[in-house]
Amino acid sequence: MAADTGRDLLVQDVGQGDHVCLAFADDAEQRHVLSHYLADGLRRGERVLYFADRNTPDEVLGWLPAAGVDPGPLVSRGQLTVTTADDSYLASGTFDPDTMVAVLRQEVAASLAAGYTGFRVSGEMGWALREVPGADRLAEYETKVNAVFAEGRASAVCQYDARLFGAEQLHGFDRCHPSTAELRPLYQDARLRLVPAFRSGHHALRVVGTVDHTSTATLAAALETLLDRPGDVYVDMRELEFIDLAGVRALAHAADRMAAGRRLHVVDLAPLMAQVVRLVGFDDIPSLSVDTAEDPA
Amino acid sequence: MTAPAPHRPPEGLTHQGLVYGSDEEFLAATVPFCREGLARGEAVLAVTTGTNIGLLRRALDDVSGQVEYADAQDWYQRPGATLGAYHRWVDRRTAGGAHRRVRVIGEPVWRGRDALETAEWTRYESAVNVAFADCAAWIICPYDTRVLPPAVVADAHRTHPELATDGAALVSDHYADPADADSVWSRPLAPVRAEGEDAVLSFGADLTDVRSFVADTATALGLTPHKTPTLVFAVNEVATNAVQHGGGAGRLVLRRCGPRIVADVVSAGPSHAAWYLGYLPPDPRQPRGHGMWAVRHLCDLLEVHTDDGATTVRLHVGLD
Repeated sequence: MAADTGRDLLVQDVGQGDHVCLAFADDAEQRHVLSHYLADGLRRGERVLYFADRNTPDEVLGWLPAAGVDPGPLVSRGQLTVTTADDSYLASGTFDPDTMVAVLRQEVAASLAAGYTGFRVSGEMGWALREVPGADRLAEYETKVNAVFAEGRASAVCQYDARLFGAEQLHGFDRCHPSTAELRPLYQDARLRLVPAFRSGHHALRVVGTVDHTSTATLAAALETLLDRPGDVYVDMRELEFIDLAGVRALAHAADRMAAGRRLHVVDLAPLMAQVVRLVGFDDIPSLSVDTAEDPA
Repeated sequence: MTAPAPHRPPEGLTHQGLVYGSDEEFLAATVPFCREGLARGEAVLAVTTGTNIGLLRRALDDVSGQVEYADAQDWYQRPGATLGAYHRWVDRRTAGGAHRRVRVIGEPVWRGRDALETAEWTRYESAVNVAFADCAAWIICPYDTRVLPPAVVADAHRTHPELATDGAALVSDHYADPADADSVWSRPLAPVRAEGEDAVLSFGADLTDVRSFVADTATALGLTPHKTPTLVFAVNEVATNAVQHGGGAGRLVLRRCGPRIVADVVSAGPSHAAWYLGYLPPDPRQPRGHGMWAVRHLCDLLEVHTDDGATTVRLHVGLD
């Protein structure tokens, strides 16, 4: 299985033209990405609009001082607006994709006309799980709105809380977005990055770089964090440069500790290492599945 | 061979050489072996020459279809992989109590082996005694005196605790226990005839340089690109052992010898690895000890020698 979308974007690299899906598993991950995204836009002179849902607007504004931004003056002069979905585009009681796309296009034009360098918007999408007429058309909106951001002077981060949305829903919405926001790494040094992510809507860990005897324990600890999350989990080896046997064993033994019915999927593993899995007998562990890039199962 | 082999419980390993000089002698021992096994509900595998497979099929007649056959030329390619293949077969056939015990006819290939390969396949035969010690398996290894050099036949008496005949089994007086500290199996590494200069690297706990050195040097020595990850993985595993259990450091020597890259990893400090390191099948769930099993499986040949406390592991990997 390959990644869901073309690009994993670091939040600091999200810029005009991007329509990014953020799937996240806890409040800290959400706050990390959003406080950077909002503060970066404000510093660049963009107009920033935020539609809260699970958080209150005050909570969102409360993220900004830690990111080096005092929100008060920005709100007063209209560069920053933090409202709720219910008080804005859902105020009519119905969600209409075409109206929403038209409103955003006007917001972009108005922002540029007012002298801002661009426009950025982010929304918490949890409302879509409530009984809102038109909520079933959210994917249609996410697809149609790509045109607004493709025009170049605006960007968006759409937030899907994995504690609220199911794996299939997450996967479906993720596919509507050209790129995905990268979450804060669980671990990072010059040789190895371990980054939480989502694959097919399931909790995942991207292993980037090299795993050897100096980092076995680090990988094992990150896998424990991953296993604490519900459902099947994925370990994405697309950006792995090297892993030794102890690293592979950490994967196998983590899978072996999972409750019955759950699986750990190692995807895009180098063919040699998939062979090592078989010859050591790790393939006898029923909760472990291994796919190679060359030999998708 | 003098005394009849002792009667022993069926749970453990029985490993017998069968020295034969005619088709009749081969069949006199192997046909009852297969028939009895099948009658007891045991799984039976025959890995032998194409000719012998033909003979067996005809002689076994009505029960021939219940025996699994494999051509020895395909089966005996690299000692580590061959031992792994037997281990997997035994595992699968005994899994979940499908068969309580298995029987194997395993006729190694000696033709076309050079001196080093012959020595390593002989050690492989000896390692079977430790690798399958706890296996409910009866293995008979045929040796054809019509085609084999006398030295290979003589070694069959040292590698097999017992010798099979048509009917009874006899204890081999020349058997050399692989686990004996001063056994004939623990022998110094031979000098290598390298082409060109040795490439040498000393290493400590950081193996980053080891991996890039192996990749760069092996490519320069003519290793095909798709084999590079195998050599890098194998050397990294052995070097990791040197770092973790062999004094924290070591030295790596790479050179080309004919159709192979030969890599020596020498641990700096005390280490007491047995010559059959990596031949003992690990439980996938054990906390450690899988690396050398994988390395032995992936390399053409693997030699382990401990001298004055320092261990040298020599890996032979074919160029393509």
